[in-house]
Amino acid sequence: MDQQRIRNFSIIAHIDHGKSTLADRLIEHTGTLTQRQMTEQVLDSMDLERERGITIKAQAVRLDYVHQGQPVELNLIDTPGHVDFTYEVSRALQACEGALLVIDAAQGVEAQTLANLYMALEHDLAVIPVINKIDLPNADPDRVIEELVEIGLDGTEAILVSAKQGIGIEAVLNAVVERIAPPKGVPQGPLRALIFDSRFDAYKGVLVYIRVIDGSLKVGDTMRFMANNKEFQVTEIGVFRPHPTAIDQLSTGEVGYFAAAIKTVQDTRVGDTVTSVHNPAKEPLPGYRPAQPMVFSGLYPVDSQDYGRLREALEKLQLNDAALTFEPETSVALGFGFRAGFLGLLHLEVIQERLEREYGLALITTAPNVVYQVSLVKNEVLRVDNPAMMPPAGDILEIAEPVVDANIIAPSDYIGAVMELCQERRGTYKDLSYLDAKRAMIQYRLPLGEIMYDFFDQLKSRTRGYASFDYQVAGLEPADLVRMDILLNGEIVDALSVIVHRDRAYYRGKALAEKLRELIPRQLFEVPIQAAIGGRIVARETVKAMRKDVLAKCYGGDITRKRKLLEKQKEGKRRMKSVGNVEIPQEAFMAILRVGDPS
Amino acid sequence: MSTEFCLDDWGLYVHIPFCQARCTYCDFNTVTHMGPDQHPQYMQAVTQQWMQATLPKGRLVSIFFGGGTPSLVDPPLIEKFLASVISRVGSLAGLEITLESNPGTVDLDRLAAFKEAGVNRLSIGAQAMQDHHLKALNRIHGVDDIYRAVDWAKSAGIENFNLDAIYGLPGHTLTQWQETLRALVSLQPDHLSLYRLQVEAGTPLADGVKRGALLLPEEDNVADMADWAAAILTPQGYQQYEISNWAQPGRESLHNQLYWTFNSYLGLGAGAHSFHANRRWWTLRGVRRYMLAQAAGDSVIEGEETLSFDEQMREYMWLGLRRRSGVAKHRFQERFDRLSDEVFAKTLEHLQGLGLIVNDARTVRLSERGWDVANYVFRYFVADGIS
Repeated sequence: MDQQRIRNFSIIAHIDHGKSTLADRLIEHTGTLTQRQMTEQVLDSMDLERERGITIKAQAVRLDYVHQGQPVELNLIDTPGHVDFTYEVSRALQACEGALLVIDAAQGVEAQTLANLYMALEHDLAVIPVINKIDLPNADPDRVIEELVEIGLDGTEAILVSAKQGIGIEAVLNAVVERIAPPKGVPQGPLRALIFDSRFDAYKGVLVYIRVIDGSLKVGDTMRFMANNKEFQVTEIGVFRPHPTAIDQLSTGEVGYFAAAIKTVQDTRVGDTVTSVHNPAKEPLPGYRPAQPMVFSGLYPVDSQDYGRLREALEKLQLNDAALTFEPETSVALGFGFRAGFLGLLHLEVIQERLEREYGLALITTAPNVVYQVSLVKNEVLRVDNPAMMPPAGDILEIAEPVVDANIIAPSDYIGAVMELCQERRGTYKDLSYLDAKRAMIQYRLPLGEIMYDFFDQLKSRTRGYASFDYQVAGLEPADLVRMDILLNGEIVDALSVIVHRDRAYYRGKALAEKLRELIPRQLFEVPIQAAIGGRIVARETVKAMRKDVLAKCYGGDITRKRKLLEKQKEGKRRMKSVGNVEIPQEAFMAILRVGDPS
Repeated sequence: MSTEFCLDDWGLYVHIPFCQARCTYCDFNTVTHMGPDQHPQYMQAVTQQWMQATLPKGRLVSIFFGGGTPSLVDPPLIEKFLASVISRVGSLAGLEITLESNPGTVDLDRLAAFKEAGVNRLSIGAQAMQDHHLKALNRIHGVDDIYRAVDWAKSAGIENFNLDAIYGLPGHTLTQWQETLRALVSLQPDHLSLYRLQVEAGTPLADGVKRGALLLPEEDNVADMADWAAAILTPQGYQQYEISNWAQPGRESLHNQLYWTFNSYLGLGAGAHSFHANRRWWTLRGVRRYMLAQAAGDSVIEGEETLSFDEQMREYMWLGLRRRSGVAKHRFQERFDRLSDEVFAKTLEHLQGLGLIVNDARTVRLSERGWDVANYVFRYFVADGIS
């Protein structure tokens, strides 16, 4: 295809503003799929994505469109829609020349709208505002247009759309052709292709999703990944329509995939540059960053026999998930397991759910934590990704924790509530500005560890669901942090240790001990629960001893039923982890997540 | 203190599913829509099942009419059935013949007629001694009816009687329970069955609890109630010979104990359970289906299970431990030709270490603490609990 007749674009939006539905309509309208082939949200191919209504992996689909009698090749790159995957989004945007910025006609501009817009502008993309859901009774496009002006866009350029009812789709396609520039790039130059995603296919090996920036790629070429210098021979090239369809070659400006008998996605890191071995590029494309997990959690099989199966399952998931890391770890309380690293909490939940659902594993997941950078008195710097591994206080010079810059958009009535929440979470005030007469944007710097748990839930409940939230990682900052241990029956349960701010340690300890008392069932003996910092006990609760545990009436000699009841109870016990003499249910290890803020 | 059966002594259970109203907690096999006109046909089916049954070779020691509400069935029908029993076993002499009754369904004549028919033990479902609790449970009788039923039973010459009561009811207070216990004791029953209320799925009770309309007492309060039963009954000479059952010495229910001693029992009627040797089986639960199948000469068995040798030994242990006297080691050996101390060596050692059992030369039994947390002990013996 003539380079001038190619358009590469993506759709960016705040969650639930209708990104996937718009994508569906574009696919349908260009005849890429017939209506009968359409399943809702075609691009979200994983079950979990569909269930949660979120896109986890990026996708790309080629649409054939005729504009003013001329064929045009449109490549729609769908991006992950969650803050956990910001880096992945930025690489997908780098593969485009333009973006459709979808805004809900009733909700207006939200935090993610802004974050996405800024990211698109950073990549010099042409931004086409699309006001979606104009069919809603409470739609107010005029107000949204005003807000667009407020955030620096030309409101008159906005296209009014109802993706659900198919209104305005043609206008969107025309705008893509007319307002987005064709790809630049040097067709005769050495190959440079940007990897924006990859997926493991059981038959072909890894399918690498690329945007060809310079040069071209065809079957049989030997290519090299510039980040790790690994070389592979291309066995297949194709495009998504939206199902993979083999073609001969990908030229400058085009988007598609290739396969080269690559066994693991670890070799195909998003953001890396693919070049040709025979005519290699001198410089890779800018912006590459190795995978960097932000959140860590211990994964332990409930049944220690399942350790091998858990490892295999993690290895399999890793084939298709370059951001997932794991290494063996041993806990005194939980035995053998893994410390796994994730991009964020959503990523963790998805992996955990897939391990349980697809691999049938019963897991104990310890409360997630961030990575701390610990400077020791003896002039060493440690990375601590497990609270139990935090060195004794006396050895520590300073602990630094990851922080984020958060943007919160909320109706101005809730500014106070939002600021209060941010203060409770050790936030540093940065800025406050007004989007319009009624809505404000509040900026705070917050410790990542403080927003991991129920921050968003709290934000929603304190603003009656009106606030939106987005953040980006902003480095490390020192903080007065301490390790808090939990003792059950006088013994430290390492899997329950947490890192907390010294000023809040007492409240946290008390709240955690109380929550554990609720979650740990009565045992044969009384179980003291203590929270301790160093040798000092900061909180104490007691799980009383079980007083009675008896079966009542035996109805007409139905022993079978009684036995089944006992067997069921026994099965329930088996799901618990026995630590010392204490049987601890799975939920208890996540207790810290369920502790409401002590305010 | 409690009866030692011969290995092949056996019992007969007859299920009478009819009730006038359904209690809120009940998930037993009962029907409220079948009137007395259906009773003859049902008893005929039961009799037929009895006449066709293969009888265990030992001695029949007990007959128990359970329900449902057996006292709803007219005494002549019970008499007729017992005649059929005589026709196969020769005589009813020396048997314990128990009939469960609802205090709202009896009078002196009726009880006298049951006695005449051969019933020598009456079980009276009192459940509570406060009218508002009885009403809340949808019982068809009041407290007065309980007093009257006891009087009539005595007048009718039924000297051996039991009272059933439940603790841990919605809104139940310790004071009310103590009042119930004292009232029950004042009636001088030979035997008391005290049950903690169990919330069974699908019952109106479960529904009420789920909706928050019914509030169950706190765990500790319910435990207090159980402890108070001992405090009130023990000085009156009652002994807790089994987890839920109390009796004056010599008045322990034979039938109840058959279940725990692994003796055989034959269950007749809809949804009745039987046990013999290594096999448990049960009949069709649907009353009409049971009657139709019996009339058509079809099998009325709905399900069965065969216990492996291991399972038999395990069940023998946890069932036997329900009795105060525990498991007699020589009987275990007699039955299985193995030593319980060897088969369960690790489990017994562990439980003894926890102070939950007493393991002496002749018996294994629950300790005082074990008595409180019997399920904890039993769970070691079910499923993969064998060591």
